[in-house]
Amino acid sequence: MTIRNTLRDHGQRYRPRMACLKKTEKVLLEMQDPKTGVRSQPQRLVITTIPHAITGEDIIAWLADRFQVDTQEARTFGSMLVALGYIYPLQDHKRLVIKPDVSLYRFQTPYFWPTQQWPVEDTDYAIYLAKRNIRKKGILELHEQEHYNRLHKWMNHKWDFIVMQAKEQYRAAKERKKPDRVVFDCQERAYWVVHRPPPGTVSAMDYGLDRLTDPNSDEAKTPDFYERIMIFTQQSIMRPRVKSSVSIGALVKYCGTYNNHDPFLFKCLPSNPWLTDDVTYWNLNMPCVEIPTKMRVERWTFSFAELLSDPRGRDDFRLFLKKEFSGENLAFWEGCEDLKWGEAATIKEKAEHIYKTFLARGAPRWINIDGKTMEVTVKGLKHPHRYVLDPAQTHIYMLMKKDSYGRYQKSPVFKDTVKKAICPEEHNFSVAQLEQNAKKRRPSLSPIILRQMEKEQRAKMAANVDITQLCRFTTPIPHLAVYSGITDFPTATTSPSLTFLAHTPACPSPISVALDSTSASERRVEAGGGEGEGNPAARAPVCGNVSKSRMALSLRRLLKRGCTPATMFASLSPKCHSAAGTSSRIQPISPDQPSQPPPRRIGKLKWIFLQSAVSTP
Amino acid sequence: MGKDECKTMLDALNKVTACYRHLVIALGSTSDSQNLREELKKTRKKAQELAVANRTKLTSLLKDKTISKDDRAEYERLWVLFSSSMDLLEVDMKRSLEIGQDFPLKVPTRHLIQTGMTGSTTTVAARAMSVQNMKYEADSTIDTVDLRDLQSEITQVSQMMEEMEMKVQVAPWAVEAKQEAGAELKSNMSVGNSSVGVISICEEEPKEEEGGGSRDAGIASVCAVLVFIVIIAVAGVLGYLVINMS
Repeated sequence: MTIRNTLRDHGQRYRPRMACLKKTEKVLLEMQDPKTGVRSQPQRLVITTIPHAITGEDIIAWLADRFQVDTQEARTFGSMLVALGYIYPLQDHKRLVIKPDVSLYRFQTPYFWPTQQWPVEDTDYAIYLAKRNIRKKGILELHEQEHYNRLHKWMNHKWDFIVMQAKEQYRAAKERKKPDRVVFDCQERAYWVVHRPPPGTVSAMDYGLDRLTDPNSDEAKTPDFYERIMIFTQQSIMRPRVKSSVSIGALVKYCGTYNNHDPFLFKCLPSNPWLTDDVTYWNLNMPCVEIPTKMRVERWTFSFAELLSDPRGRDDFRLFLKKEFSGENLAFWEGCEDLKWGEAATIKEKAEHIYKTFLARGAPRWINIDGKTMEVTVKGLKHPHRYVLDPAQTHIYMLMKKDSYGRYQKSPVFKDTVKKAICPEEHNFSVAQLEQNAKKRRPSLSPIILRQMEKEQRAKMAANVDITQLCRFTTPIPHLAVYSGITDFPTATTSPSLTFLAHTPACPSPISVALDSTSASERRVEAGGGEGEGNPAARAPVCGNVSKSRMALSLRRLLKRGCTPATMFASLSPKCHSAAGTSSRIQPISPDQPSQPPPRRIGKLKWIFLQSAVSTP
Repeated sequence: MGKDECKTMLDALNKVTACYRHLVIALGSTSDSQNLREELKKTRKKAQELAVANRTKLTSLLKDKTISKDDRAEYERLWVLFSSSMDLLEVDMKRSLEIGQDFPLKVPTRHLIQTGMTGSTTTVAARAMSVQNMKYEADSTIDTVDLRDLQSEITQVSQMMEEMEMKVQVAPWAVEAKQEAGAELKSNMSVGNSSVGVISICEEEPKEEEGGGSRDAGIASVCAVLVFIVIIAVAGVLGYLVINMS
């Protein structure tokens, strides 16, 4: 059993977003204990002394002792406490990290503790900025000034209230004694550094969008609540069970394979951008980079899903399939994915396009799926929905996985990629360089621009598909594939490929013909009967070509028309601009060559030889 | 006139809201105590009385259809002031309930956060209640009893606000403020005992603060010296005249 990547899980799960907050509060309370808590000392200012200051090294030592971890981890934990706002630094108040020396910190009052259920209001921030304005006599910092102007514009209707309240709060604060006033100012400032971070820093309380319910709160025990619990337990009973040995084995295998590829657990080359602020790693692993890294290429060998989910891997695979002339499989799979994940309004036209390009008889890039699946799919395409092409897509996916994937890994394309893959050197930044990197942080490309680039690339790829490479099954009987068992080849379908190709734009797709019968055989008759719509010029030299031996027929046809492949092309191209496709294992030959479905009597191999012998002009 | 009455009442409510917020900030820290809980209770009660009074006055004024457009705009502005005050008050009350429950006082070992604030908040409460000295008469079960009262008061306030929204149709965003940006700097802020010699917050800002402080102190001392010199000179002149005359 393999474990699938659950990256695309769109379910609304109420994950406890910041469960760390409640846990941190307990730790904070422990730290207060006069006997077993952190050692506190008074802070000496010019005029006063203020008690309850703690040094960074004391905090780290206490955390290391309490949780039995090493100093580095205690330091990270301490930095988290400071970043969240439970402890604030007294010197260098804008950098919310813990320094393992005698620099001083203090605990924050519970009112200013970070919490998810009381959202941080802009009104409060405006009042704070107005108070600061009074204190600093009009000279605010640049980002504060910007915020102030913005809030004045957007909260203009409340501005009277804000000014009044700011003045009153300022006066009320003055009623307290000097040391308390100093502490209060520090507390408030620290609170707003956490929740309105100065430019260049990130707030630790930035947890994304709010959920509708607070997962930490207790839920009222209503009948609905119990009903939900009942449904959940009933479904758990009905769930199919897997032996724990199997699932644990899968977990162990997964961990073993992916351990070295996880930047959390292993170092990533050249350096982890989250730690060193150096984005080389991201640049080297962009979706459409020319030369991938060794680690990335190694991941492609883990499973077929990995290869397909990585855009660069998919490109490589596409190149390989192009060389093998079976690129229609991947194109079909991509088309199905596009249908599944695209907009609802475009489903109908996308499904129609896919049908015309891949599934219809005579389609330019016909894919090889078995009869039953084809039936089911074509039936479903009458009323297309998002998952109508799922059976066909799964079939093609398994086909690619079992067949092409193995060959890809042994192919020269892949070997070449492996050889060219780069393995970057590890960075070794000094502390000064790290600080410089932090200063040089810049935001990445906007997602709008990225999406535009993706769209352009897709359009370029769609335009670039080679239309001269046609599948030999371009006029197929759909049951031609190995997987089917139908043997009859009615003569109606032995018209040359050209006619069918000419038909393709006019081929009645099942979506538009809602009243017709659904089985493929009937459609065959229809297509055969629809010859009347075909190109008379193309048909003329073709009629009367029915002969006993198919081989002889093809040879004869070639000899008759062998000298005018150009006209064939000419008549071909304007009609079938969508006749793009790559055939499997066939060199580019004149379009009338693959007209005959190879009779089952002749082995496939022999037929290939025949084709290649005939095709070398 | 109705407007001035309203304004004074709103100012009072504003003051009480600001003081209540200060008191709630001190909750749970080392400056927390029984007195603080009692102060909170008293301030809250006062705030509620003022709120009810304001509400009745403003609703009666706004319901009156015979007022002029300017008057109506003015009353809407006052209404926005009132509702914003009530918003703050409601949030502060809910938070004080939460923090009060998390930090009980009647337990054998109190676990209050050592925030560095150790002074009392009496003066703030006195300011809120507009009295000179606060009297404390509550018993030791104040924290549990008070919390129950607080819960009922919170529901009362929420109900009042809902009623307000229903009864009075005021679009808060349509109100234009009278103050412009930076208005807080204009008024006279020199009330209080520390306009001279503003002390530094932390080692970070000592330079500018101390510079300002010492500059002020320097001017004061220079003035004092000058006055002293003048007095000495006057004394000298008088002595000289006395000697001359005798």
